[in-house]
Amino acid sequence: MSAVTARPVQTLIPKTKIWTGTRAIAEAVKIADVDVIAAYPIRPYTGVMNELARMISDGEFSAEIIVADSEHSQFEIAKHASAVGARTFVGSSGVGLLYAAEAITVTALAQLPVVALAGCRALDDPGNFGMEWNDTLVFRDFGWLVSWAKDAQEALDMTLVAYRVSEDRRVLLPHFVAVDGAAITHIASPVTPPDERIEGFLPPYKPPYPLDPEYGPVTKAQHIAPSLIGPEQRKVVDASMKRSREVIEEAWRDFSRRVERSYPPFLESAYMDDAELAIVTMGAYTKDAVYVAKKLRGRGERVGVVRLRYWRPYPAQELRESLEDVKGIAVLDFSYSFGSPDMGGAFYNELRAALCEASQKPLILDFLFAGGREPNVGHFEKAVEITKRAVKRGRPDRLVYWLTLRGEDI
Amino acid sequence: MSLQPIRAPKELGSVDYYTSGHRTCAGCGPAIGYRLATKAAGPKTVLLGPTGCMYVANGHQFLTSPYAVPWFHTQLGGGGAAGIGTAAAFRALISKGKRRREEVNVLVYGGDGGFADIGYAGLSMALTYDYQRLLYILYDNESYANTGIQASSTTPWGATTTFTPTGKVKRIGNERMKKNVALTIAAHPGVRYVATSALYPPMDLANKVRKALNSGGPAFIQVLTPCPKGWFFDPKHTITLSRLAVETGAWALWEYEEGTFSLTYKPPKRRGLRDYMRMQGRFTHLSDEDIERLDRMIEEQWKLWLESDRQGRLILPWTPPPTPL
Repeated sequence: MSAVTARPVQTLIPKTKIWTGTRAIAEAVKIADVDVIAAYPIRPYTGVMNELARMISDGEFSAEIIVADSEHSQFEIAKHASAVGARTFVGSSGVGLLYAAEAITVTALAQLPVVALAGCRALDDPGNFGMEWNDTLVFRDFGWLVSWAKDAQEALDMTLVAYRVSEDRRVLLPHFVAVDGAAITHIASPVTPPDERIEGFLPPYKPPYPLDPEYGPVTKAQHIAPSLIGPEQRKVVDASMKRSREVIEEAWRDFSRRVERSYPPFLESAYMDDAELAIVTMGAYTKDAVYVAKKLRGRGERVGVVRLRYWRPYPAQELRESLEDVKGIAVLDFSYSFGSPDMGGAFYNELRAALCEASQKPLILDFLFAGGREPNVGHFEKAVEITKRAVKRGRPDRLVYWLTLRGEDI
Repeated sequence: MSLQPIRAPKELGSVDYYTSGHRTCAGCGPAIGYRLATKAAGPKTVLLGPTGCMYVANGHQFLTSPYAVPWFHTQLGGGGAAGIGTAAAFRALISKGKRRREEVNVLVYGGDGGFADIGYAGLSMALTYDYQRLLYILYDNESYANTGIQASSTTPWGATTTFTPTGKVKRIGNERMKKNVALTIAAHPGVRYVATSALYPPMDLANKVRKALNSGGPAFIQVLTPCPKGWFFDPKHTITLSRLAVETGAWALWEYEEGTFSLTYKPPKRRGLRDYMRMQGRFTHLSDEDIERLDRMIEEQWKLWLESDRQGRLILPWTPPPTPL
C-alpha cells in the first residue's frame, strides 16, 4: 500500500473566502482526500453533498460518490468502505439521521472511523425546517464522538480534526461534526482555508485489521455469546472514548500551530473570569450569547458565556472547573426530552448531571427553544434576567422556560 | 482474470473458504450453498453477511470462524449497501494508488428476509451501479428461519410458518404468493447477469457464481436452499428436495445474461408437484386438491418459461393465484 498523498499544495489558497458552512465542510473533505462518499438528500445538510458532487464532477478531487437509496444505506456504505481502508464521508439531518440509526450504532461498535455531518434540524411530525438539536443528541449513547461547530470556519476545521482524532489507533471511533441547520449550513461567512502547512496533519488512514484479502482472513463482528466477550467488547469502546480526550487535545494543539487560529479543545469561554452568571450553550447561537454578555457587561453585570465544543466525550471536568464560581446558569437549549427530570432538555439535564459532582452547585435554569422557532438576543437577555432574579431570591420560580412559546407556558 | 467453468466437482479443488467452525443445523441448505459459492469464487474474495441464519448460525460461542477469507457482518437491511461500500472502497483505493491493482470479488450472501424484504431497496440501489465482481446471492430458504420460521415474501403459498399458522378459521397457512426476486432484479438495466439456482444439478450454483463474477458488472443469483427446520423434513433429504424442486418445476432454473434469457434446466418430463410437497411438513395440511391446483398453476407457468426460453426474452410467468377453499 502506498502512502496517502495530500492534494497538491498549490491548489490550497490561503485566502479568505465567503462560504456557507456546507461549502466549508466540503472543502475539508476535499483536503482530507476522502475516498468514498455516500449521499442522500435531506435538508439542511444536503448542500455539502451538492458541493462534493460538483467538485468530483469538475475533477477537483477523486472519490467514489454513491447516491444511496436511504440514510440507512448511506451509513452502511460508509461503514463498509471504512472497514476496507477507505476514508469516508457521510451525513444527514433530522429524521434522516433517525432512519439511519441502526447503521449509525453498528459503525461505532465496529470501531470504524467514519466522519459524518449532522446538519441539525427539527424532527417530524409535522415536517419542520427549523433547528433543534434532538436529531443529533439522540446519538449520545452510541459511541460516536460528537463535536459542535459555532460557524463555517470552525466547521471546516472540526471536520479535518475529526478525521485525525477518529482514525487515531487510540480512538477508532466514528465522529459527528454537528452544525446548526440554516444558521451554519446555509449562511455564507468568511472562511480561511488552511494553507500548505496543513500537509502532514492527517496521516494516511490504515485500519488495524482491514477487510481485504491482501491482509488476510479477518472475521469481523460475528455473532457472539454474551457470556464470552459481551462486556469486554463494550469496554473497548468505553476505553476508546476515554482515550479520545488526549487525542482531541493533541490534534487541536497541532491544528492551531498550522493555522492562524487557536482553539481550546473542549470549552470556549467569554467573559468568564469573574462571572457570577453564565450562559451555557453550543453552536451558532453562541455569538448572540456573547453579544448579550458583552452588552450586560457594559451595564456592570458580571455575565459570561461557556460553549461546549464537544458533546461526546462530554467535557464534565472542564465544565465543573469553568462554572465553579458562578451562582446561576442560563442554559440556552435547543433540545427537549419529554418527561425527563424536571421536564428539561437533554442538553440541560446532562449539564446538571455533570455539575452534580461540583463542589458548589449553582442554580441552573433551562431556556428551551423547542420547535424551531428562532430566538433572538431579546430572548437571551430575558434568560439572563430571569436567572439573575432567581439567584437574587435564592430560589427559582421554575426550572424550565419556553421563551419562544406563544401563549401560556403551562 | 476470468474464472473457468466447472464440469466436475473435483475441478472446484480441495480448498474450502467456508469451512468448519459454524453451528448450522444438520442438512442446512444455505450452508451447502455457501460452501459451493465460496469455493467457486476463490481466495480473492470479501464476504459480507447480512443478519440471518448465515450470520447467527455461523457465529459460535467459542469465537471460531468458518471463514477463510475476509468476512464482515452487515445489518439485516444492509446487504446492498455493504456490497456497494466495499466495492467502492476497493475501486477508490486502487484508482488513487492507495492499494495494489487487483480484482477482488465482493460476495454478499443474504437471506430472503434480507434481500426480498427489509433490504430490497438497498439491493435494488446497489444493482443500479456498475461495480464489477460484485455478486449478491440470495439464499432462499423461504422464511426467517433463524428467528423461528416466520413467513417472508418468498414463503410459498400454503406453507405454515409461525406467523402464518393454520388454525380453526385459517386453513391455508401462508396466503401470499412467493415473490420471485430474481425476476424483479432482471428489470435493472445495469445488471449483467441474473440467475436462479438450486443445490441440484450439482455444479449449477458454482458455475453461475463464476459466470456472475466474470460478467463485468454487478450480478444477482437467487438460490433455493431447503431448510430442514423450516420445511419440516429429514435433514438427509436436503439435496433430494433441491432436486425435486427443480424436477417438479416448482423452482425454474434460468439465467438472464445481458438481456438474453435461457432456461438452464428443462425437466424432460415434469414430475408431479405432489412428490415435492408431500415430503415437507409445512404443507401437510394442504389437501390433494390444493396441490393439484398448485400443480396446474405451475403447468401454466412452465408454458411461459418455455416460451421465454424459445424467444430468449423474458416473459413474466404470471398466473392467477390458487384460491383458498
